[in-house]
Amino acid sequence: MRSRGAARWIIAAPMALLAIATIYPMLYTLNIALKSRVDYVLDRGGLTTDLNFQNFVDAWTQANMGRYYLNSIFVTVVSVALILLISSMAGFALSHLTFRGSRATFLLILAAMMIPFQVIMVPFIKTLSDFSMINTYPGLIVAYVSQFLPFTIYFMTAYFARIPKEITEAARVDGNTIYGVFGRIMLPLGRPALLSMGILNALFCWNDILISLLVMQSPSQRTLMVGVSALRGQYPDNVPTYLAGVLLVVLPLIVVYLIFQRQITTGVTAGATKG
Amino acid sequence: MKRLISSAALGLAAALTLTACGGASTGATGGSGGGGEGGSADRLVIWNWGASDDAAAAFQEDVVANFNETHPDVEVEIVSQPFDQYYTLLGSAIEAGTGPDVALFNGGTQLKSRADSLIPVTDELSDITGDLAGWPAFQADGETYSAPMFLQGFPIYFNKAIFTSAGLDPENPPKTWEELGAACDAIEAGTEVDCFALGNKEGLGIEFFMSGLGSGIFTADEYDAWIDGERDWTSEHARQVLTMWAESSANGWYNDGANSTAMFNDSFDLFSGGKAAMVIGLSSGIAHWKQFDEFLGEDLGFMMPVTTNEGTTIALPIEGGIGYGVLNEDKKDIAVDWIKATVERDAQADYALAGGQIVSNTTVELDTDITSAQEIIAELPGSKPLLHTALSGDTLDLLHRSASSCWSAR
Repeated sequence: MRSRGAARWIIAAPMALLAIATIYPMLYTLNIALKSRVDYVLDRGGLTTDLNFQNFVDAWTQANMGRYYLNSIFVTVVSVALILLISSMAGFALSHLTFRGSRATFLLILAAMMIPFQVIMVPFIKTLSDFSMINTYPGLIVAYVSQFLPFTIYFMTAYFARIPKEITEAARVDGNTIYGVFGRIMLPLGRPALLSMGILNALFCWNDILISLLVMQSPSQRTLMVGVSALRGQYPDNVPTYLAGVLLVVLPLIVVYLIFQRQITTGVTAGATKG
Repeated sequence: MKRLISSAALGLAAALTLTACGGASTGATGGSGGGGEGGSADRLVIWNWGASDDAAAAFQEDVVANFNETHPDVEVEIVSQPFDQYYTLLGSAIEAGTGPDVALFNGGTQLKSRADSLIPVTDELSDITGDLAGWPAFQADGETYSAPMFLQGFPIYFNKAIFTSAGLDPENPPKTWEELGAACDAIEAGTEVDCFALGNKEGLGIEFFMSGLGSGIFTADEYDAWIDGERDWTSEHARQVLTMWAESSANGWYNDGANSTAMFNDSFDLFSGGKAAMVIGLSSGIAHWKQFDEFLGEDLGFMMPVTTNEGTTIALPIEGGIGYGVLNEDKKDIAVDWIKATVERDAQADYALAGGQIVSNTTVELDTDITSAQEIIAELPGSKPLLHTALSGDTLDLLHRSASSCWSAR
């Protein structure tokens, strides 16, 4: 009994250190975000005693956060919805339906995952420009869906492959169409993976800077993360205001994570065992 | 199932309708003109990396107002991009044909390496040539691509109070490399602070060291040849730069962790906070006389580079800092007027005083009694271009790595 308690401590100690290492930057950021610029320069490491919430007001107004919040939420929600819809259908087809070229299709999707965006960004933006999709929400949504879809299809395929084919075959014998099997069997069973992928893709879309910068060049169309990063300028002189902006941006992510943390941790490992 | 499919289709249709509305709404105001797109004739799309403070924002408003006096019907759209992604983004946008009409550039390496993408404006700016300093940083192969708005230099600032505490005479700062070494020894022995504030995560420290002290190391002929592209890296004085850099580190001149802290703005904050006696600062948007004066007041001092070798001519290292370049041939005329608006005398005079920038317009008189500012202005006529901005990007990277190796060897 005593040895089990000791073992727990041995495991818990490094976990606690890891937690501290993760939480410390956030607390450090919060501490600096509450300081005036002068206090930051004179004593950046010390605990702030005179709470300065003006930095949050300045960050909100300077980064045009009200508008950018709406832009980010809209683009993220629509992109993630499209990614989940397409990937779940593709995952079902690739894992449970037999058709000519399914393996080649899957390999093609795998290959797409291995091409960094930086390699294709110029022709990609050129293509969007040719379709007059620069500075449009559909342009950014298409960009996000195309970038994040391959991994999600791969993940959903791997997840659905764990579901025995006997289940889907039995559903077909019971009179379900192929769409019925997808809607009544696969989607409910795939809920953990879909939730996990939804959250991860939402994080990707929300945190993205490069794609958004390239596609949304007009100031009014920008997303939240771009607006905040523009606060820095060439020289990040007013660090407290900048970090206040960073906190305002990550706050929704922290709330979402706290609500769905169990699904995230179980979902991430769920589809990784079989491809 | 039908309900599910119908719901999904309905949701998708609603989303696409909304996004289409979003796209349509941007059509009227969005879509940069760009070098490749032509854009609207009554609209000028300008990229920069944002206003760093209220003074910079006010200057930008003044420039827009100046421009609109001559072009009241032209809508100016200024797009502030994050600086750390700026040149990657600009290069990609230019290649894809979605770039702006006008873009802000750092003078020297950054502008010259992109001269192929810029429209020469040599003749168009000839009428203001005499009013501005710092042109060479915006010229390549005999053509002028921009007008310098501000001057970028590496003045050495020092804290007079710390000098006094260390037993040094703050009115007679070091003038030779030996005197500088002795001063650092005295500061290390007599105070709790470091001799120089330095951050070097990006390898930028060597740039400041080379350009900040270069006029005391290279002879006048060597200096001019270096700027003209005739460089002998195996020469005694070129090697001496790295040797001095390594020695200064080995002798403990810099704050701990200097090799792992960010250049901007840790070193300047350390100096402002009285944690270092000296710093090689800037003359542009940050780390300038006004910012340091805010913290140090009358304790702020300015000193020229020290003499290391005989036959050298001590000069303030300063040159054209930033300026706008034209990317869209179709809008060259109004783009040139934008450039001229950025160097208009009154706007520059206001910004020099409010923002602390050393501006390029030589007709501007800086109306301040802050001594260090006036001392810097007084040294402008004999100033020389920065040594490091004459280097190519690849050479600069190599210099960064070499300098970091010197520190690692420490």
